[in-house]
Amino acid sequence: MDIHLYLMCYRTEALVASQLEAEEFGSYMAVGTRKKTFGNVVFFEIDPTFRSTEMHLEQVEAKCKPHPDGTPRRSKYMSLYRVMERVPLSAYGKLHLTTRDGRVLSLDGRDFDEDFSSEGPFMYAELCPLTSRVVSHLNPKAFTQRITDPATTVHVPRIFFADTQVELDKDGRLASYLPYANPSHIEDCLREVEELPNKLGKTVDRNPPLQAFYRTIATGFYLGDSTGIRFYPYPDVATLDAEHHTWWRSASMG
Amino acid sequence: MPIAHIFDPHVGPSSSFSLFAVADGIDSAARALPAWWHVTWICAVIALVSAMGFYRWIMAQSEGNERMQEIAQYVRDGAYAYLRRQYRVVAIFFVVVSALLAVMAFGLHVQHPLVPFAFLTGGFFSGLAGFFGMKTATSASARTAQGASHSLDQGLKIAFRAGSVMGLTVVGLAMLDISLWFLYLYKFHHVLFGGEPMSLETITVVMLCFGMGASSQALFARVGGGIYTKAADVGADLVGKVEAGIPEDDPRNPATIADNVGDNVGDVAGMGADLYESYAGSILATMALGVAAVSFGGVPEGFDNAFSAQLAFLSAPMVLASLGILLSLAGIFLVTTKEGASMKELMWALNKGIWGSSALVVVVAMVILPMLLPASIAWGVVAAVTIGLVVGLIIGYGTEYYTSAEYKPTKGIADQAVSGTGPLIIDGIAAGLMSAWIPITAVCIGMMVSFGMCDGFDNLAMGLYGVGMASVGMLSTLGITLATDAYGPIADNAGGNAEMAGLPKEVRERTDALDSLGNTTAAVGKGFAIGSAALTSLALLAAYVEEVRVGIHREAAAVYQVEEGAGYTAVDLGFGKYGLYVAGADGSHRENYTISTLRSNAEHAVEVLVDGKPVDMIINHLGGSVRQATDDPLISQLVATTPAGLFDFMDYYQVTLMNPKVLVGIFAGVLMVFVFGAMTMKAVGRAAMAMVMEVRRQFREMPGIMEGTTTPDYARCVAISTAGAQREMIRPSLLAVLAPVLVGLLLGVAGVMGLLVGGLCSGFAMAVFMANAGGAWDNAKKLIETGQHGGKGSDAHKSAVVGDTVGDPFKDTTGPSLNILIKLMNMVSIVFAGLVVKFAPEISSFLGMGQ
Repeated sequence: MDIHLYLMCYRTEALVASQLEAEEFGSYMAVGTRKKTFGNVVFFEIDPTFRSTEMHLEQVEAKCKPHPDGTPRRSKYMSLYRVMERVPLSAYGKLHLTTRDGRVLSLDGRDFDEDFSSEGPFMYAELCPLTSRVVSHLNPKAFTQRITDPATTVHVPRIFFADTQVELDKDGRLASYLPYANPSHIEDCLREVEELPNKLGKTVDRNPPLQAFYRTIATGFYLGDSTGIRFYPYPDVATLDAEHHTWWRSASMG
Repeated sequence: MPIAHIFDPHVGPSSSFSLFAVADGIDSAARALPAWWHVTWICAVIALVSAMGFYRWIMAQSEGNERMQEIAQYVRDGAYAYLRRQYRVVAIFFVVVSALLAVMAFGLHVQHPLVPFAFLTGGFFSGLAGFFGMKTATSASARTAQGASHSLDQGLKIAFRAGSVMGLTVVGLAMLDISLWFLYLYKFHHVLFGGEPMSLETITVVMLCFGMGASSQALFARVGGGIYTKAADVGADLVGKVEAGIPEDDPRNPATIADNVGDNVGDVAGMGADLYESYAGSILATMALGVAAVSFGGVPEGFDNAFSAQLAFLSAPMVLASLGILLSLAGIFLVTTKEGASMKELMWALNKGIWGSSALVVVVAMVILPMLLPASIAWGVVAAVTIGLVVGLIIGYGTEYYTSAEYKPTKGIADQAVSGTGPLIIDGIAAGLMSAWIPITAVCIGMMVSFGMCDGFDNLAMGLYGVGMASVGMLSTLGITLATDAYGPIADNAGGNAEMAGLPKEVRERTDALDSLGNTTAAVGKGFAIGSAALTSLALLAAYVEEVRVGIHREAAAVYQVEEGAGYTAVDLGFGKYGLYVAGADGSHRENYTISTLRSNAEHAVEVLVDGKPVDMIINHLGGSVRQATDDPLISQLVATTPAGLFDFMDYYQVTLMNPKVLVGIFAGVLMVFVFGAMTMKAVGRAAMAMVMEVRRQFREMPGIMEGTTTPDYARCVAISTAGAQREMIRPSLLAVLAPVLVGLLLGVAGVMGLLVGGLCSGFAMAVFMANAGGAWDNAKKLIETGQHGGKGSDAHKSAVVGDTVGDPFKDTTGPSLNILIKLMNMVSIVFAGLVVKFAPEISSFLGMGQ
């Protein structure tokens, strides 16, 4: 049985070895073998050949072995805490989005070095290692560079975040279909960022509830640092409904 | 018991009332079946044959792939399992009640001997209609999904024709039951068992009693089905959706099949039994009122004798309802649509059928009723029928206004969801409360106008007949209105089947469109059910008084004695009631003029009519003594010539707001609605809890369910919901049956009248409130799920889900059950009237509460 490496990065970080395929692993992590756990799971598939003594990956073959009854090892935690920053960007494979009931959508990633035509402001859901929701003038590329810039006093080595929707209607109100709690506060934050050009960003919520999270995703997910960015584009709703209907129905539940 | 001899007093100018017995006046040998009777059975058979044709057509359609068939089979198995168990419980109830009725009929002589059998047939046919409806519905869901994979029109056609099977089966079986009972009682009973032919009064009153069978079956179907469907729904939602995050109709949810079964047992079988009872009840009550109208109001102009007048008034509701079946059938064929139809076009497709049938009923009424009734009366009745139809449509569309997400009230509730659960609940309750104004106003105006159009302000009995005809008019198109109603759950199940079977997007979009339309039509159907319950109840109230009269008759008939050589013999029954025996010329006697109920005193005398002519007699109610009229100078002025009418009975039984028994009865009626409501809602809570525990258990003990590698134990969830529903429906159902009897025995006829009025007024308003508030909460949630106010998963959605959970038992359990509670209490009162008439005065006297 092949050993896969998965990097969980939805608010908590862990590098897990598993003999399950990504879809099975996502389902297992979301719902368990007995229905005791619930919750969305987001994880990267890591190049299985990647090795790091720092993360004890030289022991992966020894530790991630089938059970005595021949069933595959579902999860073997290899490393916890500050894992994401220590895996080189080149080792990151697909991003898997798992719903609360274990449906998995896999997104392909690509290198990203583009400036958006859209001017913003943008709203980002920081997923790892930070967990705030922020609004900012900065486009995803600039935002990534800014927050991972070692030259600034406040930075992180690497950031994983999602670009989330902030459509406004003609009255300047947040579009009614967006499931954010306290939309008027988001409108205030957006207005403040717009009115103060020197203010690069504003925290909307330090620990926002991620309800209906997958319904809020705009362009996609970004993983990056000062050396580069991996971008995982997110399909539009029509594509999700048509081509990933089961997942989308599940994702729409919350 | 003292025997009172009748003297032959003088007669003079009338100053008071007299009694009511009207003889048949027709020689039994000459009694031929009227030609119009053939219309009734022919139309009933056409309805049943058409239903069979639709059923075969549906069964000839493809049920789709193996997965679709498998899912449909799960639902079918669950539905049959439910029905089997339900019918077992109901059978026990029917055996026990039939035995009680038999004791009343053969032991206590307070009920007609045929009533136990009428009761059984009413229940049997109602159950049969529910069975056929559900059999078709559960066979049609996968076929509708498969039809939708070809075209929207094909999906609509299959779902709607499956609903039509329910509609046509209900009206066909109800009309066949009425028609056959009439045939037997009118033509054959006296031939088989000897004696005089039954009077039309007796025939209608006996037939009315089969309504109790239908009502009882309906109550069990509605309460049981309502508890079942909501227990399954809540279980599926709370654990499946909220805890596990599983979407609607996901095959991994153990309760999802039970949920789909629930749609069928609640909205198809329950609704069918409910409207079967309304349909039959309105026709039977109006028939009884038509006959009583002649008895109480005299022979109208245009008739040769009382019998022909009674027969004509009796025929009108039967013939109109029969022809309504054919017109409904015509309307069913009008329902088609084109591919890619919008919601408006789909709605128009159904409205074409409903409005077309309604318009045709008015036209047919304008042709037929003047043929059956004298022109002076017929046009008033035509107006009443038209008003009934209009009131039905107003209530239906009023319901749609207050529950559809396209209109302000439901949008307002969705708006409140943004502020939280509390405001959403408050706004939903407010919208539900306010929504009562349309049906109540429509029923009030409809009642007054139909009453007035039939000359009710001059002739009370005829006015009541007009109200009865309005309710018959409202339900004359039941064949198609019920089809639109039963279509909803079929389309809903088709959507579930398409989802579970993973059919392509365009199929799901089509079934979603059909389902969405079904929600609206279901709301309209519920409006019809509630409105008809209110209109029919006035007719049933009047029919109750008629049954009281007959009850006194039976009481007297059971005890009178014949004294050798005496022309008249009166028996003091106590409490101002006298049995009077009048010998016939050939030594025989006729029961139907053997009663006197009303008191004579210094200013009033009672009088019995025989063959429409007054019998010269006066009975003093005090102590059973008799005095010769000529001994008292006042007596010469006390000749009553007017038959005792409804008001005389009201007077005799002191049915006045100043009588505390009436007020206590009204309070009891109101209390019944509240207690019954509480019991049914608590029942849902308990049954749902069992389902929640089971779904959790399956997730816990069957780990492969969530992975999709193990099939959940659907049957266990179905069994739990079924057991819960059967267990929980017994207490509220018993309450509904026992309360009118107990109130009657304790508070007498006055108390029963109060109970029925209190139950009717509060029950009608409460039913509208609950059905509409629940519908509005449900659609507010659906509106949010379209993306408004944050859509699924948002805080607003969470609030809306709570509102929907609260509203579920409102709209699908308690609200619809209240319709039947109202009618069942009426029916029980009617059937047990003889018992109350005989024993209530004695109990009341024993308790020191007067008579």
